[in-house]
Amino acid sequence: MSAATRPQAPEPVAAADPILVVRGLHKHFGGIKAANGVDLEVGRREIAGLIGPNGSGKSTLFSLVSGTVTPDKGEVRFDGRDIAGQSAYKVARLGLARTFQIPALFDNMTVTENLLAAAAEGHWAGARERAAETLALLRLEHVADNRASDLSGGQQKLLEFGRAVMRQAALILLDEVTAGVHPNIRKIILEAIAGLRQRGVSFLIIEHDMEMVRNVCDRIIVMDSGRVVTSGRFEDIVRDSEVMQTYLGRPQ
Amino acid sequence: MAVQPMKSRWLGLLLLGALLVVLVLLPLLVNNYWLRIATGALMWAGLACSWNMLGGYAGYINFGHSAFFGLGAYATALLMADPLGLPFTVTVLAGIAVTAACAVVIGAPTLRLRGAYFAIATWAFAEVLIQFATVMDFTGGIGGLSLPPFLNERFFYFAMLAAAVLTYLATWALFERSRFGLKVKALRDHEPAAEAMGINTALVKLQTFVLSAITASVFGAIFAYWVTFINPRSVFGGDITDQMVVMVLLGGLGTLWGPAIGGVALFVVNRLIWMYWGDTAFYIAILGAAIVLVVLFLPNGIAGLFARRRGGATVLDKTVEKLARAGGGDRN
Amino acid sequence: MDLFLQTLLNGLLIGGVIATFTIAFQLTFGVLHVIDFAVGGWVVLGGYLGYYMVAAFGLDGFVAIPVAFVLFGAVGYLIGPILYNVRNSRTARPELMALALTFGLFTLLRGGMLTAWGFNTRNVTTALSGESLMVGPVTVPLIRVAAALFAVAIAGGLFVFLYRTRYGLAIRATAENRHNAALMGVNIRRLSANVYGLYAGITAMAGVLMGAIYSVNPESGLRYTLFAFFVAVLAGLGSVGGALVAALLLGVIEAYVATYVGASYSLLAIFSTLFLVLLVSPRGILRRGL
Repeated sequence: MSAATRPQAPEPVAAADPILVVRGLHKHFGGIKAANGVDLEVGRREIAGLIGPNGSGKSTLFSLVSGTVTPDKGEVRFDGRDIAGQSAYKVARLGLARTFQIPALFDNMTVTENLLAAAAEGHWAGARERAAETLALLRLEHVADNRASDLSGGQQKLLEFGRAVMRQAALILLDEVTAGVHPNIRKIILEAIAGLRQRGVSFLIIEHDMEMVRNVCDRIIVMDSGRVVTSGRFEDIVRDSEVMQTYLGRPQ
Repeated sequence: MAVQPMKSRWLGLLLLGALLVVLVLLPLLVNNYWLRIATGALMWAGLACSWNMLGGYAGYINFGHSAFFGLGAYATALLMADPLGLPFTVTVLAGIAVTAACAVVIGAPTLRLRGAYFAIATWAFAEVLIQFATVMDFTGGIGGLSLPPFLNERFFYFAMLAAAVLTYLATWALFERSRFGLKVKALRDHEPAAEAMGINTALVKLQTFVLSAITASVFGAIFAYWVTFINPRSVFGGDITDQMVVMVLLGGLGTLWGPAIGGVALFVVNRLIWMYWGDTAFYIAILGAAIVLVVLFLPNGIAGLFARRRGGATVLDKTVEKLARAGGGDRN
Repeated sequence: MDLFLQTLLNGLLIGGVIATFTIAFQLTFGVLHVIDFAVGGWVVLGGYLGYYMVAAFGLDGFVAIPVAFVLFGAVGYLIGPILYNVRNSRTARPELMALALTFGLFTLLRGGMLTAWGFNTRNVTTALSGESLMVGPVTVPLIRVAAALFAVAIAGGLFVFLYRTRYGLAIRATAENRHNAALMGVNIRRLSANVYGLYAGITAMAGVLMGAIYSVNPESGLRYTLFAFFVAVLAGLGSVGGALVAALLLGVIEAYVATYVGASYSLLAIFSTLFLVLLVSPRGILRRGL
């Protein structure tokens, strides 16, 4: 997918009524400050990319937002609601879905069961049909009855993504969802993301693949050492010398 | 969820129907001695199933499950004795109530513990109950309690049969076929991911724990009335839990029929050893050897041999195919 | 006051012996990531060895100690790799399977001992059995003193081994961070086998001592497993340092409950404490556990 074929995007700057607002988020583990005052926003129907060097706190941010980890202090507002410190399952029920960097699949269940399990707490009516649609969308029909643990790496990433889709969430957090996958699989996922955005879903995507970030994301947020360094369009970010130093290790 | 190939599905249902018919007619077919053995086998199959709810489907290894079996037994023993002298059925219900309450109180904090810690905690809990029942007077202390004798083997056979059938039916309906079952299995396979799917794992775990507890207590109640005499070791003892665990591991953890297979198989071995050697110490060694062998060579249990692989046919399907071909040429 | 001191002393002395095998137990967990249910079984087997060496060869019970170490060390060395394989296999739920395996081993040992030797209680007799010493107001059974001294020697030896030798360093490194230790060239598999052997040997030695102080009986295996769990939970699974304190504490609690409340209440007290600690602070009182 090139810049020319990128689906129509709204204005890159975060809109007036963002779906996610994070203010002054702090979290430390022992001596490590994983989140050191994170401020960011994700607009509705926006595909925001989150980049930064390893250890900059991106995955931790996901865990803090999704409720897996409780912040020390700070604010997280999702769809207007204050969710900082709430349990993960409550946040998920409000319409926030996330994937894990290392696929956290239900290994002993089949692909179909994995998808259905994602809908078990939610809109159960029509779940089977939606699961079939998701299988078709992700080209996983032929492994529908395979155990999740028997899938290839790429298929596992697809399933991980598929479960997030089944949640019918308003905001999906994707953690390196295309890392190390075959280009065909990447294409499937990107098309799925585009389709979902058309239907009103927002995304916050952690990525290391700059190509993908450039092609898919409306706006990039750059993190380093537990804080947001800057945010904006890809072209502007790339020109920002601070970012280059942080991420690529040399001044522009 | 995929539909099994039609052939093996019908065959399975047919076998199940035949089994039920045999079980219902059994008192007419065998004498009391064998009926007692059948009663025991049904009880263990049922207990194994109840343990499997939490251990196999939810993945929480309860090393103190006998606690609930014992609670049911003692509830019945205490309530049927003077001065209360309540009817048996009432005591069963009372036992369920007490066990459910206990399970909620103990379960809520204990289920927050991970894997091995949970196993140790539940083990400790059961042992606390044994010690408690031993030192307290109202429980009859180490001497135990007697129940009013009721020498009707058929009654107990049908009671155990009913309890076992209900337990398996409930397990099938709740854990194999419903969305609740999906939630339980999800939290077993990856608890944080289940939470991320909106599943309130603490609640689901607790519900499973309570279900598993009350089914065990029903068997305990029937057992107490059946054997007319109980003491702390006989109903709270670690040997009871050990047996349940081995039965499920042997039969197949987390499967519907695994507990039945393992339960009946091991109970039969137990009776055989008792018949020929007259002592149970050897049986304990067999139990231990069985676990070791299962873990090393058959981790998915006997039922695992029949499990689906890669979306292909199960061993059962393949067997049916072979039989069909052998019986009538290449006809489908 | 005399009884108070007497009980305290008894408790500390037995706590010292308990410390030996519970420390080894912690070490095993740290390296293999397996909670060895069979720990009580090794203790009792050690006791039986002690008994037989006395009964069959007329030797003093203390001679059984080094024999126990060598014999059970070898047995442990053979079993260790099996445990390691199960714990690290790529089938479903290796942690659970390893737990089941040690549980099966424990049951097998217990059943085997019951079948072979019945429910009879035996004793390990030594030159010091029945002898005591008067130290002020307290009577000190010499066997307990000797056992405690042995325990100190064993613990001291273990300490020196762990902290003053290269191999001990490798063990500690593996317990700390297995991945990095492997990167540094440690053969985790062989190390695990060695550690399990070491642990089994030490535990069997403690068993001889226990057999001399208390008695040997297949059912008491459960008790010793409980002791190990108790210490592990209080100190935090895998924490060797806290284990010593926890073991002494356990010995003292047990002694006091048995003396002042009643012997039949001591297990109740220990199990209840264990259960409560797990609920309140599952990673150990000092939160050092895994």
